[in-house]
Amino acid sequence: MTKKYWIVILAVAALAVALRLPRLQMRPMHGDEAVGAYKFGELLEEDYYRYDPHEYHGPALNYFTLIVARLAGEKSYASLTELTVRIVPVFFGFLLVLMPLLLLAGIGRAAAVVAAGLTAISPAFVFYSRYYIHEMLLVCFTFAVIVGGYRYAKSGKIGWAICTGVFVGLIHATKETCVIAFGSMLAALALTLLFRRRAGGIDGSPRKIKAVHLLAAAAAAIIVSALFFSSFLTHPQGIIDSVRTYGAYFSRANQNQLHNHPWYYYLQILLYRPGYANQPPWTEGLIVILAAAGLVFIVVKKSLPTAERSLFYFIALYTVIITVVYSAIPYKTPWCLLSFFHGMILLAAVGTAAIFKFASRASVRIILGFAFGLALLDLLLQAYLSNYVYYADYTNPYVYAHPTTDVFKITNQLKDVSAAHPAHYGMGVEVVVPDADYWPLPWYFRRFTNVGWRSGVGQMTRTAPVVIASPDVEDALIAQLYALAPPGEKNLYMPLFDGYIQLRPEIELRGYITKELLDKYNQLEAAEIQEAQK
Amino acid sequence: MSDKTIARCIKVSLAVVLALVLLVAGCKKAPPEGGNDVPPRPGDTTEKTGDASAVKPADADTSAEMVAIDIKLPKPMFVGTPQSFQGVANLEKALGKPRPPFYAPKGTVNISVGKPVRASDEEPIIGEIEMITDGDKEAADGSYVELGPFLQYVSIDLGAECDIYAIVLWHYHKQARVYRDVVVQVADDADFIANVHTVFNNDDDNSAGLGTGGDKNYVETSEGKLIDAKGVRGRYVRCYSNGNSSNDLNNYIEVEVFGKPAK
Repeated sequence: MTKKYWIVILAVAALAVALRLPRLQMRPMHGDEAVGAYKFGELLEEDYYRYDPHEYHGPALNYFTLIVARLAGEKSYASLTELTVRIVPVFFGFLLVLMPLLLLAGIGRAAAVVAAGLTAISPAFVFYSRYYIHEMLLVCFTFAVIVGGYRYAKSGKIGWAICTGVFVGLIHATKETCVIAFGSMLAALALTLLFRRRAGGIDGSPRKIKAVHLLAAAAAAIIVSALFFSSFLTHPQGIIDSVRTYGAYFSRANQNQLHNHPWYYYLQILLYRPGYANQPPWTEGLIVILAAAGLVFIVVKKSLPTAERSLFYFIALYTVIITVVYSAIPYKTPWCLLSFFHGMILLAAVGTAAIFKFASRASVRIILGFAFGLALLDLLLQAYLSNYVYYADYTNPYVYAHPTTDVFKITNQLKDVSAAHPAHYGMGVEVVVPDADYWPLPWYFRRFTNVGWRSGVGQMTRTAPVVIASPDVEDALIAQLYALAPPGEKNLYMPLFDGYIQLRPEIELRGYITKELLDKYNQLEAAEIQEAQK
Repeated sequence: MSDKTIARCIKVSLAVVLALVLLVAGCKKAPPEGGNDVPPRPGDTTEKTGDASAVKPADADTSAEMVAIDIKLPKPMFVGTPQSFQGVANLEKALGKPRPPFYAPKGTVNISVGKPVRASDEEPIIGEIEMITDGDKEAADGSYVELGPFLQYVSIDLGAECDIYAIVLWHYHKQARVYRDVVVQVADDADFIANVHTVFNNDDDNSAGLGTGGDKNYVETSEGKLIDAKGVRGRYVRCYSNGNSSNDLNNYIEVEVFGKPAK
């Protein structure tokens, strides 16, 4: 590659880091992130991980986080920071930006650079690269399988076959939805081979796939997957559970309709969401439109950047199939769109390269380049706004079932009042929210050592100087508080928070603090103010 | 970038990953006996199974629902140059913000309003003893009672044994003052012999002879002094004081006792 390309790639890489890395603690942890971090805390503190076929997805995220935590020298859940856990998806999100370069020969330089650039600034990819969930690993490993498979098909070397197998194992160890990626890839591969045969071998004679290579790839996949699921050979049951899990998932597929959405939900998110106040609407329509253009160019076989039609067919078929499958599944959460949206980015890159190739006149290219540049700037602006301004705002299409920034108020207030308690972080706290809908508070309260997490008031066996509860249980809560303490020891409770506090929009939490502790806290606060005024 | 270079990069990367995996694997130890602790139930929005349904309150007294007691406050009455409290030890710092309401079980009301009052000084200098439970909390002349100097008390007969959650006490708020040796007790009998509970005591040198207390001195304001009675059970409430930062006299505007009859 020329020096000019390297400069562009370095710029893209720097932009990817600049968008992903700063202020990782700024956005409140999502409930799913907090659950993942809590489970990781068990692994960190106790060297203990057991794959649960019913919850929490695969072990890959936990073990990759363990590497980061070990390198950072962290030993306890309480000492963890958002940086330690969120740096893992940041890393894989960054890898994903650079990986199109491994397909230079397949999709061409221009398309590879455009794919890297679009991945770097796509608001969806930036947002979920800063999100401690499995999705970024899943997409990264899936793309690695495509890259590895392609390079094996081209080179016929066993190294690429093993590499592909390793990533197949990693996908499996990441999330149960890997079956959608596997199914889509297999279907796309089968259809590509079919088209290829009908076309009489469009890319020349395919290399003969050796059985031993396939066996090596399969062995690599099985070994990697088994290592992770067995908690590195300490829990063989995990390997069986990694298969059993699909029974559990399918059996309850229709039980939880909380996240069921219409088939066009993802496309709606990508195409248009009204902006906040006077802001322009959120849209990644540019990528969707360019992907559609790429699809058209592949179908009509015109202006494609290289002669690797089989790869283009595969990418097109894979993207269409996985998009249809994800859209057809009623259960939808925004981060799931990454799996097919990455395919769209590849198609969009091909489409962009093809459009510029198709536009033979220099003046047209200049106009196109200007328009493309403006559209990229808009994407960049959206990536910034969605991650650094409206990161917890519900107009942001990627903010889903997300806690509000009030979680910081709750946490800070708890820390402040604990300073007035003799036990400090050992201060008793009771959190009572039906259905355990108090996440991500266990993450934010991780330094407090005496917290009772209750799904109902009936689970409370003690009173505490601080109680945080849902208004739904308020009446029963006071009954329990007064029932638990004998006369003369029944503390008077007062509001902990000055105003309305919501965990998520419309999900209010109320705080209660004993008058005794509140008085101490108020005196401490007043003393600090007086000291500051001196 | 040539194929060879890329292949080399991949090999190196795989070697690094393998090394890291071995590092992790090398750190493993046998699982703890008895399995792991039950974690807090995750509210995983993607995977919620709903098997952590809310538990109904066991043996909860459903009649005792929580209510926020919002005390109706009189107008602030500070006038003139603020008082200097030099020499007053252990003084509570002003918060600079209104006091929030407190929570109490449903049915909790002001049970002292209109109840009979006795005082150690049967002939007040100003006002009538009954004014202490008449519901008038204003600081203007005609709303407060002035008792003689030295240690004095007022006692309120609630008429029956009650569960007392809070007591709010207004001595005098026309001027910022600190009343000395404020002690508040609850008892079963009018003479304060049986089952006496001290719920507030800021007498730090036992000058009132009722024992030393750890509570702070405070400046009188229109908010009154909210005292946590901790659900203590009793029929009589007695409030002591021993002069104030402006003079040796003892003033009382109102005493409100929040509770409900004992079951």
